[in-house]
Amino acid sequence: MDCRETQERLLESFEGAVSPLEQGQLDRHISECPECAQFAVLQSQLDLRLQEEIAVPQLSPGFRAGLQARIARQRREPWPDWLPDVAHLAGSGVALGLCALLLPLPAPVVLGTGILVAFFTYSLQAILVSVLEQRID
Amino acid sequence: MDQDVQILLRERHCAAAFELLLDRYREKVFRLVYSILKEAAKAEEVTQDVFLKMWQVLPDYDGRASLSTWLYTITRNTSLSTLRAESYRKTLPIEGCDPPAANWEAGLRQLEIMQLLQRLPEVQQQVITLFYLQDRSVEDVARMLDLPEGTVKSHLHRARRALADLVRS
Repeated sequence: MDCRETQERLLESFEGAVSPLEQGQLDRHISECPECAQFAVLQSQLDLRLQEEIAVPQLSPGFRAGLQARIARQRREPWPDWLPDVAHLAGSGVALGLCALLLPLPAPVVLGTGILVAFFTYSLQAILVSVLEQRID
Repeated sequence: MDQDVQILLRERHCAAAFELLLDRYREKVFRLVYSILKEAAKAEEVTQDVFLKMWQVLPDYDGRASLSTWLYTITRNTSLSTLRAESYRKTLPIEGCDPPAANWEAGLRQLEIMQLLQRLPEVQQQVITLFYLQDRSVEDVARMLDLPEGTVKSHLHRARRALADLVRS
């Protein structure tokens, strides 16, 4: 076993992948090679420090309750997020069509005014939805 | 694997299937998120996001990929989106580290190992963090990061050699 192979086996030993036979060869080489012996000590200390420092984080006791609350909140939301936008677009389209047909005004005036009103009401709706969402959160 | 959950899903018992998945994977998902975000409180919030998404899409599960693969993919994507959206990654400036001591043994004691870890490429940081979080299981790390076991080992070895070089330098 040469130095390169020894060092590779040594790194594998931290993954528990070295057989007793290989471990014996590893120990023999390390006892005769100062460079690999230093590599082994440094890697063992690094492994120990990593084991100490990378502590397993724990989920807080409220994790499950928090998740259930979020799921319950989703269940209470009967409509998808995009529904108000689609409803507004459809409503504006129908109102605009009716106005263009029924009002005794030139079509460009009806269309221009209708688009402005639709934009204004859409902005108003977006603000209202945002305020409601903030209150719910 | 997860045959019981798949049976529950086939019988449309989604809530029971979800509870089983939550019991079985919440810690692993949390550790995977933590290995990417490196902050426990944020990782817990993102773990909730992952299970919330899982709850929403579980009824559509078609059985093509294994449930754990599916869950880990959602976990990685959600974590990486969070990382990108919030520019969450905090990088410690190298000049902020204490200088290494004259010999590496003293240096290893003095230097914060986590600071050294942050100087490695992101994938090596994730692999080495998950390796210790998952009780040294290369198999778990490979499954969680969707990498071949050989690649995980290769990242581990490169990370260990790079850490040793940093300590000695």
